[in-house]
Amino acid sequence: MERLWPVEISPRAKYLRTFWAELARTHSHLLWLGLLADAFGFESMFLQFWRIRERVLDLLEMTAGHRVIPSVNIIGGVRRDITPEQKKVIIDTLDIIRKESDELVKVVTRDYTVKKRTVGIGVVTKEQAIQLGCVGPVLRASGVPEDARLTKYDAYGDLNYEPVVETAGDCYARTLVRAREIFQSIDLQLEALSKLPEGEIAVKVKGNPPKNEAVMRVEAPRGELFYYAKGNGSRNLERMKIRTPTFANLPSLLVMLPGCELADVPVIVLSIDPCICCMER
Amino acid sequence: MPFMLPTILKNLFTGYATRLYPVQVREPFENARGHIRFNEDKCIMCGVCAMRCPSVSITVEKKKNELTFYPARCIVCEVCIHACPSDAIDLIFKWRTPFYEKPVEIYKSTRIAQLRETADAATDAATDAAKEEESAKEDK
Repeated sequence: MERLWPVEISPRAKYLRTFWAELARTHSHLLWLGLLADAFGFESMFLQFWRIRERVLDLLEMTAGHRVIPSVNIIGGVRRDITPEQKKVIIDTLDIIRKESDELVKVVTRDYTVKKRTVGIGVVTKEQAIQLGCVGPVLRASGVPEDARLTKYDAYGDLNYEPVVETAGDCYARTLVRAREIFQSIDLQLEALSKLPEGEIAVKVKGNPPKNEAVMRVEAPRGELFYYAKGNGSRNLERMKIRTPTFANLPSLLVMLPGCELADVPVIVLSIDPCICCMER
Repeated sequence: MPFMLPTILKNLFTGYATRLYPVQVREPFENARGHIRFNEDKCIMCGVCAMRCPSVSITVEKKKNELTFYPARCIVCEVCIHACPSDAIDLIFKWRTPFYEKPVEIYKSTRIAQLRETADAATDAATDAAKEEESAKEDK
């Protein structure tokens, strides 16, 4: 939204935004891995993953106030700051999360029953993925190194970031991409916290949105999120368009579902991480 | 299953991961967004919070001196807290307890009530004075 005015936000706000985005990604992927285990009836692992996720939610509540949706972003910066004491707690907790999820991710990636239900199921080839306009982990699991974080918005330009890519394009590859992204996002959080610059957290933005257009692509946990806003100088925006990742990923089911067994349908549908309320707009 | 074995064994010998909730409650974090409360002494019934609220959980009727707050609609986004010109909204860290019926809270601004009282008293005094004058004229 700052691109409408346009306003430059402070470096500290950029790093804090990156930190919260990555923390939300860790929570979202842990939630998804739990749901995947639930989709093929591995109930105990489902709860094991959600137990780790609870630690992430506690971190979110401690730093941002809410458990799931941080709602810290305001036009011009962020609303909350991270104190040095909180930083220590975050680093310690992230270490525990990394250790605990490492144990469980090994189960997901090596276990016979999990492999039996995911390997070779719901395959999307590289060409099909590009043609159907997939985004996020679905696209990366098909071997396309495409990620909105490569556009270097916020603090991603300064951080050591490379997209996680798998080539098989099946449910197992999508699981691997999300599992590896958990560790990558923990690394990114630690890096963002260690490089956190001093300074203001928010710039005051005055007045109504001017006559201007702005486009922004960000990488949400489920994939690329697209924002378009058009102001006309009044209090209300003239047009606002949000394209959510599920909307882009849904057509890929046309390739994945035909010919599969009925018992595999929940796993395949879940493998694109559908969020129906995001899509239905 | 062999890869799950260490986790299973560990879980066998560790305690519960959950808390006995109503008996054992975790202290809320500092700055956690529990719920909001209006300060009747500071509120000036300007209606900025009602205008900004994204979930339409506040309505202000200035004539009646009444601010109605629907806590069940509130998403604790803090927009009203930052918009309030007189700092009349406080963030409470503790969560609300569950309820059977959706509560409705009505607040009245003490400042406006006082102003109105004094204004009413002034008008009353003025009418009294006018009446006295009239009666005095009639007497003459």
